[in-house]
Amino acid sequence: MHPIVELENVVKEYPLGRVTVRALRQVNLALDRGEFTVVAGPSGSGKTTLLNLVGGIDVPTSGEVRIDGRATSRLSDRALTALRLEKLGFIFQSFNLINVLDVVQNIEFPLLLQGELSRRERRVRVDALVERVGLQEQVRQRPGELSGGQRQRVAIARALVTRPAIVLADEPTANLDSATGTAIIELMREINHTDHTTFIFSTHDPKVMERADRVVPILDGRLEADTHSRSRAAPVEAR
Amino acid sequence: MRILLGIALRNLVQSRRRTALVGVAIGGVTLLLVCLLALADGVRDNLVRAATTISAGHVSVAGFFKPNATNLNAIVTGRAALRKLVEENVDGLDYIVERHRGWGKVVGNEGTLQVGFSGVVAEDEPALFDTLSLAWESEYLAGGRDEVIGDPRELAEPGTMVLFAAQARRLGVRVGDTVTIKTETLSGQTNTADARIVAVARDLGLLSSYAVFVDRGLILDLYRYNEDTTGAFWIYLEDIDRADEVMRTLRTAIAEAGYALREHESDPFYFKVSRVQTEDWTGQQIDVTTWRDEVSFLTFIVTGFSVLTWLITTILVSVIAVGIMNAIWTAVRERTREVGTMRAVGLSRGRVLALFLLEAALLGLVSSSAGAILGLGLITLLDALSIRIPAEAAQVILLSDTLHLRITPQALASAVGVLTLLTAASAIWPSVQAAALRPVKALQHAE
Repeated sequence: MHPIVELENVVKEYPLGRVTVRALRQVNLALDRGEFTVVAGPSGSGKTTLLNLVGGIDVPTSGEVRIDGRATSRLSDRALTALRLEKLGFIFQSFNLINVLDVVQNIEFPLLLQGELSRRERRVRVDALVERVGLQEQVRQRPGELSGGQRQRVAIARALVTRPAIVLADEPTANLDSATGTAIIELMREINHTDHTTFIFSTHDPKVMERADRVVPILDGRLEADTHSRSRAAPVEAR
Repeated sequence: MRILLGIALRNLVQSRRRTALVGVAIGGVTLLLVCLLALADGVRDNLVRAATTISAGHVSVAGFFKPNATNLNAIVTGRAALRKLVEENVDGLDYIVERHRGWGKVVGNEGTLQVGFSGVVAEDEPALFDTLSLAWESEYLAGGRDEVIGDPRELAEPGTMVLFAAQARRLGVRVGDTVTIKTETLSGQTNTADARIVAVARDLGLLSSYAVFVDRGLILDLYRYNEDTTGAFWIYLEDIDRADEVMRTLRTAIAEAGYALREHESDPFYFKVSRVQTEDWTGQQIDVTTWRDEVSFLTFIVTGFSVLTWLITTILVSVIAVGIMNAIWTAVRERTREVGTMRAVGLSRGRVLALFLLEAALLGLVSSSAGAILGLGLITLLDALSIRIPAEAAQVILLSDTLHLRITPQALASAVGVLTLLTAASAIWPSVQAAALRPVKALQHAE
């Protein structure tokens, strides 16, 4: 069985004025299904770039990023959009919810884009997630009316609602207080255990690293030898 | 698509200040467009009313009779037979009236007028007297009363005349006065007759400057015509829009019945007279036309109003298009992160484009609908007030002495449709730019 995420000799460069910034340098990485992985490193080390490439919202300058065996650089924009919709879930540092939609509508949004489920089926799935992230009292509230922790819970529910194979979380606790951050990580860890969803985080928070199956250190765009901080959940077939 | 509609709608509500500003501009232009369309349609309505009251029916069957190569009379001989043929070949006929025609001078107390006479048989006129709006005496006589004097139905009496307010002013006459009519007969002999004014009608623009109604007997006497003649059959249909079709049918039927039929010329009857007079033929020719032909020299007014309406609208729309484009640009800039997030989650470029276009189209639809409703209210009010047009030149152009505004549901819908489409079109470029945003760039922009 091939890894769910594979990076092979990946280089990512950005033009910055007259200078070209090399954000990732010859990165090789393979992640199995069901792993709870942290990409750890200081600011500017290339964590977000790595997650963007895995998430198919950016493509490498050279090398190949394969998601479930499909090379993202060979996909059209339409195919890449479909891949993100079907296989990936995103959790952003700044939550990135749609401000004019309420909690339920934000969570339901990817399902509506997929257009595969009936209204009733969508409702059942969204309700289950609302309950799981503990937002039953806030279902009709909009993001502006929620606390940071509540917003991130909505983002988690939105990322999970399509039952993706991979959830990418870019510094999900950076804008949260310590207790809320811990609760959010515990929630994702629990989902990883129960649903065997592959989670990939970026963080420089040691407390978050402690909760990961695997920590992949990154510095100046290069991966260093990774460590396993704890035994991971058994990999299973995911979509 | 429903979710996109929901997002678009809520974004408009959320940015209510910007929405209100752009919406007021779109609504204002729609209101203006609706009012201008109503004015143009009102003028067209006036034109139809004037034309079908003074110049023609919906379809007109008239005749030229030349006893020799140089003399010409505007008559149909053997009227009974031709009338029967017409009645049998018109589908959707409402009614037919006959008008005897003449041309001559009217001499009043203070002046003279060269006019065309329309000889009517009062008892056979089902609508003329309802169509004519009678003028107050004060409208044509200094120190006159603010009330209508006279009754046009008195045209049933011999030696009577109904004229229009501007003519009465020029002649210096009032209801009950007698004027003298001077005409030339078939042989070129001058005849005169007196006519008593039984009513004065409100002006119907340019057309009413050169026409008066007299009783049919007066024309027969003046020109020495026999009873089996008429000037023209004016055919009124249940649906005026079928005039062209009926004209074609009648032309075929009349030609097949053996009448000499003139080639169709889109000119008023009196414009053809000098042309026919120089033609080298004798006998009877029948001329079939529609009301449009009879007022073809006036259609420039309606066309002019339509062109002016769309010209003004185009200029205003061009100005507000810049505003709409700017508003959507601002929305795209403000929501770049949101676009990046939605693209990351799986929204396609096409749907991003649709989202912003929907937003613009919704803004256009709601604003232009509001403008159209306000415009409809304003038009209804102004039309009900029957505001008098002060300048005579304006009366000639507007073909009425009072402001008449009229709007059809189709015109209202087209105003809303055009403004909605233009609003959406103004948003195309910024929407395309939003759709072209790469998710990673859009998300970085947010950070």
